[in-house]
Amino acid sequence: MAKVIVYSTPTCVYCKMAKEFFDQNNVEYTDFNVAENEDARNEMVQKSGQMGVPVIVIDDEITVGFDQERIKNLLNL
Amino acid sequence: MYDIIIIGGGASGMTAAIYAARKKLNVLVLEHESGGQTALQPEIWNYPGYLDVEGMKLMQNFKKQALDFGAEIKNFKISKISEKEIEENHKVFVVENEAGEKIEGRSVIIASGAKPRKLGVPGEQEFENKGVTYCATCDAPLFGGKDVAVVGAGNTGLDAASQLLKYANKIYILVKGELVKGDQVTYEKLKKEEKVEFIFNTETKEIKGDNFVTSLIYKDTVSEEDKEIEVSGIFVSIGSIPNSDFVKGFCELNQFGQIVIDPKTNATSKAGVFAAGDVTDILERQTVIAAGEGAKASLQCYKWLQSNH
Repeated sequence: MAKVIVYSTPTCVYCKMAKEFFDQNNVEYTDFNVAENEDARNEMVQKSGQMGVPVIVIDDEITVGFDQERIKNLLNL
Repeated sequence: MYDIIIIGGGASGMTAAIYAARKKLNVLVLEHESGGQTALQPEIWNYPGYLDVEGMKLMQNFKKQALDFGAEIKNFKISKISEKEIEENHKVFVVENEAGEKIEGRSVIIASGAKPRKLGVPGEQEFENKGVTYCATCDAPLFGGKDVAVVGAGNTGLDAASQLLKYANKIYILVKGELVKGDQVTYEKLKKEEKVEFIFNTETKEIKGDNFVTSLIYKDTVSEEDKEIEVSGIFVSIGSIPNSDFVKGFCELNQFGQIVIDPKTNATSKAGVFAAGDVTDILERQTVIAAGEGAKASLQCYKWLQSNH
């Protein structure tokens, strides 16, 4: 099973959509709220080189934004 | 074969779908960024019937309504639209995505909406997502304790500033001219905030930074002097441009790239193709207007189908 991490903020619409997508597909993920968690925010910025959310890390692959097609491919869905 | 293919799942597309589905038409909505521009607004105060509603929730209701009445919705990013003749004088429309998938329909409603207009200044592209953003809902929380600039003082800009109040240390709002075009109610509220500073008569010239944004240079259009403000975030809110690239050459566009429509029927220059909402040359852009336009387009499209197929 792939290791999935989501860096998100509470008001971000695409973050919500990404998490709903994972829930609907029974994909487990760890969610970091970068609005409140500064360490997670720095980690996100370091990993992705940018500040947009969501940042979705699937094993070692980084996806910025809710790119459904890419995520489906990475998870073999 | 679908009776109507609706391109776009925002306020106008979904409303068109609701009306078409209730006419028992075989309707397919092709959406790419579900909920359109409305879904990105955290708080909507001026949608009639709802005193205060979250954009995303409102669009989820639109979608549910369309689905409940039997509309089909598919995630599909359109790259091309064309028509083909299947018999003499009998045409159908074909929409295609980048993967080459094709879908056919007897009629089309283009409701593909609009996307944020860019400043077009040096540094903007380089620093996109590195301090430059077009979505306050998405990114305001990332600028806790920082100094930011909002470019644009229409409702989008004022809403961006309102969202930033909770997070930013200082908010500059750069206004093009003398007047704030956004709603006075929001303007009054922002004027009272200590951390908000309105700067009038500005023209953004450049965005600077190293790995991320560090400053913005603007020209004071009255004194003609260039001025620099140190900011870590720049929220660009200067209007929108239509998502009509795939339509070029298919039906008439005006000089802004908007689809030209008959205001009474929402018909485009191509028979059987209608358009609604922010992608068209309509003069005002509001969710309730997009919804109304979607309904109009759908009812007119239905009448066209009745007399043409």
